[in-house]
Amino acid sequence: MAFLITESCTGCTLCARNCPVKAISGELKKLHAINPARCVNCGVCGRVCPSSAVLDNIGKTVVKVSKTEWEKPVIDKSLCGACSICVNACGKDSLSISMPAFRGDINVFALLSNEKSCVGCGICAKVCPLKAIVMRKEGAS
Amino acid sequence: MNLPIYKFIDLTSGEIRDYPISRTLFERYLGGKILAGKLLMDLQPEGLPRFHPDNALIINTGPAGGTGAPSSGRFNMTFKNVLTGGIASSNCGGTFGVSLKAAGIDGLIITGKAKKLSYIEILDGGVSIKDASAYAGMDTEEIQSRFDKHWGKLVIGPAGESLVWYACAISGERVAGRCGAGAVMGSKNLKALTAYGTKRPEIYDPDGFTAYVRKWTAFLKNHPMTGSALPTYGTAGLVSSANASGALPTRNFKEGRFEKSRDISGESLADKRLTRNGGCVSCPIRCERRVKLNGREIKGPEYETVGLFGSNLGSGDMDRIIEINYYADIWGMDTITLAGTIAFALELQEKGMADFGLDIGGKEAIIEVLRKVGRREGIFTELANGTKWLSEKYGGKDFAIHSKGLELASYEPRQSVGMGLGYATSNRGGCHLNGGYLALIESVGVVSVDRRHPSSKAELTIMFQNMMESVSGAGFCLFTAQAVIPAIFFKLGPNHAVTRAVNKILGSAGFALRPIWWLLPGLLPFNTMFLLPHAEVVKLITGMPMTSGKLIQIGERGYNTERLFNLREGLTGADDSLPARLTNTSQENDPEGKPVPLSRMLPLYYKVRGWDSEGRPTPKKLKQLRIESGAGV
Repeated sequence: MAFLITESCTGCTLCARNCPVKAISGELKKLHAINPARCVNCGVCGRVCPSSAVLDNIGKTVVKVSKTEWEKPVIDKSLCGACSICVNACGKDSLSISMPAFRGDINVFALLSNEKSCVGCGICAKVCPLKAIVMRKEGAS
Repeated sequence: MNLPIYKFIDLTSGEIRDYPISRTLFERYLGGKILAGKLLMDLQPEGLPRFHPDNALIINTGPAGGTGAPSSGRFNMTFKNVLTGGIASSNCGGTFGVSLKAAGIDGLIITGKAKKLSYIEILDGGVSIKDASAYAGMDTEEIQSRFDKHWGKLVIGPAGESLVWYACAISGERVAGRCGAGAVMGSKNLKALTAYGTKRPEIYDPDGFTAYVRKWTAFLKNHPMTGSALPTYGTAGLVSSANASGALPTRNFKEGRFEKSRDISGESLADKRLTRNGGCVSCPIRCERRVKLNGREIKGPEYETVGLFGSNLGSGDMDRIIEINYYADIWGMDTITLAGTIAFALELQEKGMADFGLDIGGKEAIIEVLRKVGRREGIFTELANGTKWLSEKYGGKDFAIHSKGLELASYEPRQSVGMGLGYATSNRGGCHLNGGYLALIESVGVVSVDRRHPSSKAELTIMFQNMMESVSGAGFCLFTAQAVIPAIFFKLGPNHAVTRAVNKILGSAGFALRPIWWLLPGLLPFNTMFLLPHAEVVKLITGMPMTSGKLIQIGERGYNTERLFNLREGLTGADDSLPARLTNTSQENDPEGKPVPLSRMLPLYYKVRGWDSEGRPTPKKLKQLRIESGAGV
């Protein structure tokens, strides 16, 4: 089951703009809809919705969460193989492979290079084959 | 076990439907080029000319594709070879394969010809054919920029639209280069394919998969080849070793050593031009070169491009090679065949046998040649047909460096005779990878089995051909198989007594390898990191009881199926050949050297393969491999 937008939607477009997989369509001030074939149940739409108009995959209303409380990917450099599958999967271009520290350096790894654009969807953690990424709130251990 | 999902697309009628893959077909042919070879055999009508609308184009992935297993972000294109008339398979590391898989599709079977220039859009499993008139004539960079940046793309450039016989298809900056994949797309009025989705491939044993992939990634990162040499110097790192062993093709394969090899070496590229290394999606090896051109970071050239546009054209100008590589990609042409054709045309000119007005002296001059070939302008339209066609029109077959019509890669077979046998027997023509890539253990690697002697080469070639076929069919990059050479040899070095002893043993152990092909899969009923970790990963992904022995036998089945396709399309044992320059004369700078003893190796190769003296798989071999005719089996 995918997430669902209810009639409470005011058409503010926040969910569509933040959805990391562009699964939400709708015009300004009109009811938005989630494409169930694409939705990855990440919950970003619900976390940004000011009208509590998003139901999760079990029908529960998703609570709005302040941006500062969002989880962010934490990458274990010692495990990361720099395979870039997370970089490729990130719909917000928040991740990249680190630049070499010196000419000829091949010990590179994935990093959260654009924290501002990250919506905390957790897709990177899901696709990482090495489970080198965990989603964590800032300050949490 | 989840069976792969294939879509059948008829561009003529616009029909799009599911194409079911049976469990038997999946278990016997797995995926990638192996399954695609079987599907081509079943679905491609016999004897059609190149560019006939009914020719089939199969674009698919292997079971590992998109799972995140090491170097598994690849996809395959299989079709009737534009240059040889036999089978073609072209493998690419661009993002299209991963995106196709994310859209919930494992493979596409495309037939027919669209009425106008079109592209196929795949979104979340839905497939539609769309108008691409607005993209006509666009280069591969520009058209890709017109689609959503997060979509996987597979496109052709002007060369594909102009039906240059060796036009390639491009995905991101990676290339399905060989055999004319782009020309086949062009002949179908198919300018591009795009794919996007958010599905994750189902993995049978997710915890086991993560644990094993962690181990394998660490193994690859710690191996001197995949963890150090390839990421540091890229494939161009082979220039120095090829030159040292006289295996660097120079001036249309007249010589094997180039006086300016240092200027075009991987070391020089890394020291002077490299900004960083890059890689295909899900690859921890990261052998791609990123270099600066006119203030912009672009993809650097691979070994083949460096050798064939460098030494083989007598040029030591790395900047020029970088630029050529860039333009060949954006206009959509295979650099190996393009460079081979130019080298042959130049020699025809030198000998007064033809006059194309070909001048490749300056950087601008050769880029202009590329532009004209890519658009089939004037006399340059002849160069767009490749070396074999030119040699049939103007003569010079002795020095037309191709096999079956496909130009040879950048390994000189007279200093790598097993590679010579591989080029000659390769199903897709003069290809080093489909040919078994014996150069790696003859002339460019740390282990070096006597590169001029035919002993054991037939057996080793078959072993490598089958293994590489299985690795590719499972959906992995062939470079992961380079870790099969034990790390200890890199520590000891090529001149250590132990390394030399192993060279000798391998060079005379051929007879011991002969029974293998009748004893599989039982001979290797296990999986190990040191041989084919790919088999264990396939097992963890699919739940199929896969062993190294089974996987290699699937590779052998694939190789024989491709061979059957070639025979059906009119190729014979006589096409397992090399040009006379390589089989009758020695290299110009090596008067004591010898030609490739192909006629000595070929009969044994056929025998060990279980083929008759004409190179046809015997009924006994087909029965053993359970190769049956008819769709679905």
